[in-house]
Amino acid sequence: MATAVLAAILVWALVSTDANWGRLTDAPGRLVTNFRLMFTRMSWSDVGRSMEAMWESVAMAWLGTMLAAVFAIPLAFAAAENLVPRWMSFGVRQVFNLLRAIPEVILVLAIIPFLGLTPSAGVVTLGIGSIGTVSKLCSEVIEGIDSGPIEAADSVGANSLQRLRWAVAPQALPEIASLVLYRFEINIRVSAVLGALGVGGIGTVLRSNIEFKNWGPAGVALIVVVLATITVDVISGAVRRRLVAGPTGTPATREAHVVEAF
Amino acid sequence: MTTALRSAAGRSAARPRKPRPSPFGLGVGVVAIALTVVTAFDWRFGTGLTFRGFIDNFGGRNSVIAAIPRADLDQMFSARDRGAFLDTVGIAVISSVAGTLVALPLALWSTRLGAPYRWVEVTARGIGSVIRSFPDVLWALIFVAAVGVGALPGVLALFFFSIAVITKLTADTVDGIDTGPLEAADASGSGHTQKLRTAVVPQILPAYASFALYAFELNLRASVVVGIVGGGGIGSRLEFFRNNYPGADRWEKVWGLVVMFVIVVFIIDRVSIALRRRLV
Repeated sequence: MATAVLAAILVWALVSTDANWGRLTDAPGRLVTNFRLMFTRMSWSDVGRSMEAMWESVAMAWLGTMLAAVFAIPLAFAAAENLVPRWMSFGVRQVFNLLRAIPEVILVLAIIPFLGLTPSAGVVTLGIGSIGTVSKLCSEVIEGIDSGPIEAADSVGANSLQRLRWAVAPQALPEIASLVLYRFEINIRVSAVLGALGVGGIGTVLRSNIEFKNWGPAGVALIVVVLATITVDVISGAVRRRLVAGPTGTPATREAHVVEAF
Repeated sequence: MTTALRSAAGRSAARPRKPRPSPFGLGVGVVAIALTVVTAFDWRFGTGLTFRGFIDNFGGRNSVIAAIPRADLDQMFSARDRGAFLDTVGIAVISSVAGTLVALPLALWSTRLGAPYRWVEVTARGIGSVIRSFPDVLWALIFVAAVGVGALPGVLALFFFSIAVITKLTADTVDGIDTGPLEAADASGSGHTQKLRTAVVPQILPAYASFALYAFELNLRASVVVGIVGGGGIGSRLEFFRNNYPGADRWEKVWGLVVMFVIVVFIIDRVSIALRRRLV
């Protein structure tokens, strides 16, 4: 039954979408031609520009993620059901859902009039765009901690702040740090996307080179973005595993958990 | 710091020492702060982060922002924009379905359990990594350059983007399955493909279906920027109003489209999340 519905939707989509299907057969050939053009005209002089732009994208992604974390982590404590009353956690979560529904490319359109086509606009956009997701994931981490230490702290008379510091934070912090890093990995890609809208970084370089058919610099930029993204992913992945598992440990898998809350 | 306590037996007990924070954690924290400082300042390796613009422009005289409350919600009733919305959904559907199908073998081959030989595993994993490092806008730029403007490059771009998303998630799921059925399959002498089909795929099917829905959600969002660089759908209408529309109410129309888009995506998201919860 479900597959029938799916098939019907697919057929509708294929029939009604206004795509020039005739060009599909040309596509592989044209693609190969373009790639050949890109990779045979590269020159070392383009590398510097691409690397600087890539660093700008990474910087935007990092700052945006940090900005989001600064606001999201306290907010997460206000959304955790084991720490605050139901009405408060529900309200805060709805705010997150609303923030998460706005794609960053649209958000940036509202930020550019204030901050211009500058990396700052990218940073603020990434920050606002990430708060919802980071906060939701953090609140889930907080809800998942062991209540033992909390009870122990309460039983020796800890006030709220002390309870947070000694019972909640040590359990939650490693996972929170890990998911913030994961968000950073994602934000590097978003940063490239925002760059295509003009705020700077590798996205701007890629878009202008491809659209103006400067194939050589485009090829360089493409290689730079692929290598840089993979490098950041590898380093970040290793740091995250070490954070969550400890120096000896077995890796815990919260990745699938992370998907839910995008 | 020790405080002597007299227990009933008369021996003194020292208060235990406070645990020291882990050096690794501290190291990560230091690097994080250093990186933040480096990237914030206005120098060669920094972004020159400033919020000045908000303060300067807060007077509300900015025509783009002032148009938000006056958003032209009639966009939904314009035939061309409705067509663009439907195109966006159609593009997302086609690319998600096609991407889901192609992603399964690639995902299986990139895991130790699913790859018939080690070199297959390494190659598939490498391809997956490279595909995953392309941001969605890059796929769109590449395909627009190859086949021209319209919905077709949008479909192709998001097809590859979906593969990127689904492969990684599915591969991670395969790494976590129960090996019992696999051993049973081996014990009864199945070939590799048979083993995959009977012991692996049924276990990952619910998660796999939920990833497909997730990719669909992502494709809907990605369609905005894909359309902006020429991939058809709602993004291209946004770009048209943003840059090529001669009327004075550009931004009212842009924000009208945005409002419609956010509402539709929100609804589809809720439905999709509910479906995914029932799957997994």
